[in-house]
Amino acid sequence: MFAKYIPKPGRREYITFLLLFIEIIVFGLLAPHFLSERNFVRVIQNSAEIAIVSIGMTIVMLLGGIDLSVGSMMGVIAIVAGNLIQKGINSILILIVSILIGILLGLVNGLLVAIFNIPDMIVTLATMNIWRAVIFMLLGGRWLTGLSSDYAMITKAKIFGIPVLLLLIILFYAIFYYVLMYRPFGRHIYAVGNNIQAANLNGINIQKIKIASYCLTGGIVAISAMLYIARMGSVEMTIGNDMAISCIAAVTIGGIGMKGSGKRGSVVGTLAGVMFIAFLRNGIVILGIPSLLENCFIGSLIILSVIFDKISLEKRRIKQ
Amino acid sequence: MKKILITFQKSRTLFLLMLLIIEVMILSLLSPYFLKLSNLIEITQFGAILILLAMGESIVMLSGGEGIDLSVGSMLSLSGVFFGLVTQAKYSMVIAIIVTIIAGGTLGSINAFFIAIMKMPPLIATLGTQYVFGSLALYLTNGIPISGFPKSFEFLSLESTFGIPNQILFIVIPVSIVILLLMYKTKFGREVYLLGTNPIAAKYSAINEKKVRFIVYVIPGLLAALGAIISNSWLMTARADAGLGLELQAITVACLGGIAVEGGRGNLGAVIISVLIITMMNSGLQIANVNSIWQLAVLGFVLLIAVSFNHIVSNILSKPQKF
Repeated sequence: MFAKYIPKPGRREYITFLLLFIEIIVFGLLAPHFLSERNFVRVIQNSAEIAIVSIGMTIVMLLGGIDLSVGSMMGVIAIVAGNLIQKGINSILILIVSILIGILLGLVNGLLVAIFNIPDMIVTLATMNIWRAVIFMLLGGRWLTGLSSDYAMITKAKIFGIPVLLLLIILFYAIFYYVLMYRPFGRHIYAVGNNIQAANLNGINIQKIKIASYCLTGGIVAISAMLYIARMGSVEMTIGNDMAISCIAAVTIGGIGMKGSGKRGSVVGTLAGVMFIAFLRNGIVILGIPSLLENCFIGSLIILSVIFDKISLEKRRIKQ
Repeated sequence: MKKILITFQKSRTLFLLMLLIIEVMILSLLSPYFLKLSNLIEITQFGAILILLAMGESIVMLSGGEGIDLSVGSMLSLSGVFFGLVTQAKYSMVIAIIVTIIAGGTLGSINAFFIAIMKMPPLIATLGTQYVFGSLALYLTNGIPISGFPKSFEFLSLESTFGIPNQILFIVIPVSIVILLLMYKTKFGREVYLLGTNPIAAKYSAINEKKVRFIVYVIPGLLAALGAIISNSWLMTARADAGLGLELQAITVACLGGIAVEGGRGNLGAVIISVLIITMMNSGLQIANVNSIWQLAVLGFVLLIAVSFNHIVSNILSKPQKF
């Protein structure tokens, strides 16, 4: 009965996937090594953390906010987890502890945003700086190296020839697709993002939703921090420096983030956006285009995707 | 007590001035060399670039419509690189400076085109141009800093006249006066404020929104170009990463100065004072031998405290409002 109120992946998401396939085909034609299995696995390995964190960014951006502190949060969690690994503590315990720290860090953002009513950009800007300083303090210029955790195998293992990492990413996206589309919590996030006044009048506890979303993002960031340690086996000072901006780019290309059009889109679009950027970076390197120009392409792409949204939105308005 | 709170809440400038005085007192207790007029004036040179960028950022934020400019740092890098390339091609300094300012204006108008004409959300548009400008700066220099400017170019940033650093005396003070006059004594400034407080009212009072918004986004480009000239002369090199992270500092300072993220509220004078606070604090932390790493964190804390102070005081004064 309520099924028609639950949005299916819209045309926008399909278009992003279509673009992704076109991109893969074009690069495949131009560079022979691009379509090899090894290359695909490498792309997925390199983009796993951004893919996971982008889920959190999607949730926050659906709320109409933004979280610039994800990279620094990831750094703090990775350092704590790395220290625990060096002490030889049980892996599952470490995972639980890091997720708890992540939720705690997210709670700081959430409380400041929801209770103190400070704009989310300012809050996360400030916490980004604070956690970055904490990273410097904890590391003090050293590197944490030689971190071989039990999770390290995840990045290399395969089940039936499919990388476990890919399965993990798909699992996460499936869970959050379900939560955002079919659970009350997810629907409330869309409601708050679309019209905060209407959501409040409908009895949605806005403060609770906001705090919960930021906590959730913190927890997700913790998982990606564990993936980072598993992949790199070390933690250095610059960890997560580009994380926030890469995630915002992926989410935007995936179709979320346009003000005025209502908060459409879903994590499916985000996944397409993450993969699009990951293959683009990879393809640029394989084709031998100067890698210094990499960000130039991605930046132009962000702008193009927003202009595209704008035009298609206007077309829809004319139709109506 | 309540009266004092009201004054501070009403005037961010007063609050920041008090903060500045407290800060100077603490720092002069920490070090006997701090509280000297010559030292205080010398310190201002470290804030020269930040003042320029923060003023541009503040005007953008004042104009409302989710206004923000994430590309100021990259614009500084790229126009600085243009400066380097022009001097490398053996053109004179004057031509290099003119080219840099034109480049800054052009970069600013690219942002302005996307935001004012194409009506893109500023956050996303400037995020995109930040990527593009930053990577173009790297590509044009191949990541290698351009140096070899003539010795006379040091005059701008490494020397001082009447005890005042040259970049403050010849660039920052005149430019600040021009910007303050533009914002508070001309029709344009009033239009920016109205656009920030109530865009619908602005539309009905026949304000040409496209034109005003376009100019608003060109200004940070021009100011970033001036910042690039100062930075080049200070380091005597043109680096592709000269502006790295400066956009966040500029936004932080603007917020600390009381510029509302929603637009329409805030005072440029307060922004200038908050740049002074941050600059004093940074050098104070150095004097007190606190690791420079903590400057970032202190910046974050001060920002949070300043913004939540306003919220708490307005809560004490009136009944708490739901959102």
